[in-house]
Amino acid sequence: MEDALLKIKEVSKHFGGVYAVNGVSLEVHRGGICGLVGPNGSGKSTLFGTILGLHKPDQGEIYFQNEFINHLAPHTIYERGMVNAFQIPRLFYSMTVMDNMLVAARGQKGDRLFNSLFLRKNWQMQEKGLIEEALDILELIELEPWAFTPASELSGGQRKLLELGRGLMARPTLLLLDEPAAGINPVLGKKLFQKLKALSADGMAIFVVEHRLEILFEFASWVYVMDKGRIALAGKPQDIIDNPNFYAIYLGEE
Amino acid sequence: MDPLLYVLDLVVFIGIFGIVSLSLNLEFGFAGLANFGKVAFFLIGAYTYALLSQVGVPFYLCLIASAVVSAIFGLLISLPALRLRADYLAIAILAFGEILRLIVKSEDWLAGGDWGITVAPAISVAGASHRVDALINIGLVYFCLLIFFFIIQLLANSPYGRAMRAIREDELAAEVMGKSRTKFKAQALMIGSAMAGVAGALYVQYQYSVLPGMFMPMITFTVWIMVLLGGPGNNWGVLLGATLVEVFERGTNIAKDYIDLPVDPSNLQYILFGALIIFVLLYRPQGILKESKIRSKVQRLAFNGRRSAKNKGS
Amino acid sequence: MAVNWAQVIFNSVVTGSLYLIGAVGLTLTYGLSKFPNFAHAELITIGAFIGYFVTEQLGLGWPMALVVAFISSGLVGFLCCRGIFQPLARRGSSIIHLMVASIALGFILRHSVGAAWTWKPLYFTTHWSAFDVGPLRITGLWLWLIISALGLSLVMHLFLMYTKMGKAIRASSSNPALARASGINVDRVIWVTWFIGAGLAAVAGVFRGADTQIWPMTGWDIILPVFAVAILGGIGNFYGAIAAAFIIGLAENIGVVGLMALGVSTTYRIGIAFLILIVTLIVKPEGLAMLFRRA
Repeated sequence: MEDALLKIKEVSKHFGGVYAVNGVSLEVHRGGICGLVGPNGSGKSTLFGTILGLHKPDQGEIYFQNEFINHLAPHTIYERGMVNAFQIPRLFYSMTVMDNMLVAARGQKGDRLFNSLFLRKNWQMQEKGLIEEALDILELIELEPWAFTPASELSGGQRKLLELGRGLMARPTLLLLDEPAAGINPVLGKKLFQKLKALSADGMAIFVVEHRLEILFEFASWVYVMDKGRIALAGKPQDIIDNPNFYAIYLGEE
Repeated sequence: MDPLLYVLDLVVFIGIFGIVSLSLNLEFGFAGLANFGKVAFFLIGAYTYALLSQVGVPFYLCLIASAVVSAIFGLLISLPALRLRADYLAIAILAFGEILRLIVKSEDWLAGGDWGITVAPAISVAGASHRVDALINIGLVYFCLLIFFFIIQLLANSPYGRAMRAIREDELAAEVMGKSRTKFKAQALMIGSAMAGVAGALYVQYQYSVLPGMFMPMITFTVWIMVLLGGPGNNWGVLLGATLVEVFERGTNIAKDYIDLPVDPSNLQYILFGALIIFVLLYRPQGILKESKIRSKVQRLAFNGRRSAKNKGS
Repeated sequence: MAVNWAQVIFNSVVTGSLYLIGAVGLTLTYGLSKFPNFAHAELITIGAFIGYFVTEQLGLGWPMALVVAFISSGLVGFLCCRGIFQPLARRGSSIIHLMVASIALGFILRHSVGAAWTWKPLYFTTHWSAFDVGPLRITGLWLWLIISALGLSLVMHLFLMYTKMGKAIRASSSNPALARASGINVDRVIWVTWFIGAGLAAVAGVFRGADTQIWPMTGWDIILPVFAVAILGGIGNFYGAIAAAFIIGLAENIGVVGLMALGVSTTYRIGIAFLILIVTLIVKPEGLAMLFRRA
């Protein structure tokens, strides 16, 4: 079995004495969608934040592509190929949809001071290609007509889509998604997950938090159930559904 | 004083402060850094130029040195400062500027302390009239201004500028999307400081002297007014702001010579200044000219290309 | 070099007293309204000029000067808050915009004062007796200053701890949303804080003016040390400010001794507070807040 892309070992994170994440261990592999479910307050967002480098784990180790990443800055982790889409979109509202997409692209030559001043042709060539890519993704998420409008003019659902679009734009090795289909009509939601499934088959690893269990269980190949900061259950979707403890956890019964 | 000379003098000052405004625009308008210590870098550039030219270094090398030394200080400041909250950073840099002024005031051996030293003009023509001197300075100052404007515009309309604006708007989101906020902010502060340093050098060689009294916090505040009035995030805007503020400042000084007012014009001038800024903050906080859009040739082509393809299709 | 340490300690108390009175208003309004009010310098200055007006131009004497200055500056502070800062905050202005507005307000107040009186330095004609107590040289003015600082601190302490409004101020400082939810009229709390803060600044201004000179920059001359006190003490923390004021007073006066011993110019004296300010911001921005109960 191929070595896990993301390996988390006994990771804990507390805030002022309260353990949001308490001894979590899990693995995410390529070639499939891995789901993370759990009631509100179970620590899912904090776990994602810790993996991304926003919080330093108090205990435990995180490995990405076999590299120890506990101490890396978020922007470095991004460059390594781990990309995130927030649950509540954090778009750059003063810029256009296209600019938001372009900011997300990894390895842009134009990001460097010297290049942007003196090697203009260089980054302009790259940008041309990136724009084409962006427009393709925008077409997929049905935002293409708004490509050059300010992001502030998008509706709530559209903003969510753009957040996802930016994640795709980065051509990630591992894509972390926090409720990507929330607030989006079911037909489009299903289409998105089909696309995500296709991408994962091509090699992208996808780790997704999703409350709509029926979607997740149709597309995910492995699911972790989190409760009160720990992993309570893990397994294939069918096994999880069949497990009598699952509903108790989800409905908050002890 | 000769009216034409007034105008030429005004134009020189617009040029010098135009450069400082552009530098603050880069730091605050694009990178979101509230630099309330602008005058500190103006001072550093000025004294660097003064001391080097005193020992006979040719003016263009002095200007370059001013830029480099100021940039180094900008980098040094960025190390502790960038982690600070906006208001803490503002207060700390303001205090830093005052410390620098205190040092040049007290250390007589450095540059004459309170009395300062004289500074030779960069370019002088023997026997030239004041008008010609002013014209020469206009040439020199606007040459520098053009170079800086060009650089800042290029940066603003590139992926670099885009990354900077992202950091300004949402530092955390930008960081998570691969933009190192420390790198971009430090670079913005370095470039901005270099520009302010050159402006300081140009200022003192035009005034033929350098004195601690030239570097009061008032200069920092004046530049902030130029940027906020003209429009942060818009290079043309801040130049407009610089023009308006300088015209107003010098205009009232000229009026003093010709019109008899009940209130001393310089007091009135600052009262109106203050009122103007509060007015702008209340009713038009984005300034006269709104933040410029990222003008990318490549994007424009793509936009037009897609649109015409659609038209053909339908 | 023989050092009169008793005098150094005494001078520290004097300096600390001045900074304390000046900084209380700043730290409370900074903590409550969440931005540094640079016009606080002008609230100090207005105090000095009103004091001058009352004693020199109206001839009403020193205590009257303090009272009138307190009320006048207090009103100005309240008007600034109500008329400018609150409307700006309602429109979503950021900390930086509020800070710039306070600087602009400073221009207006400073130059109005300069226009109404003059930019030439003015002086109180009151004669303060100077006398020696052992190794100490004391003036009546300094005694007044120290007594005022201690008295005002005591009054503020009683006010904050035992009155309804005082408790409301402390509650609003630490948790405005909770305070509002508990039925506290946070707006009124803000107005009262700004009024008192400005009033105290005025008192500091009268003393500063009496000790040195009265001119439109009276407040600006000491604003950075006052900021240092507010920040070292912990923004919004009254008790921290008391400690910070005397620490900085001590640092400045001991620093002067040190500067003289090193043969360095004593104009650097004021730089000591600047350095403390910068170091505090960089190393521990919450200042001494940890040591002192909130407000």
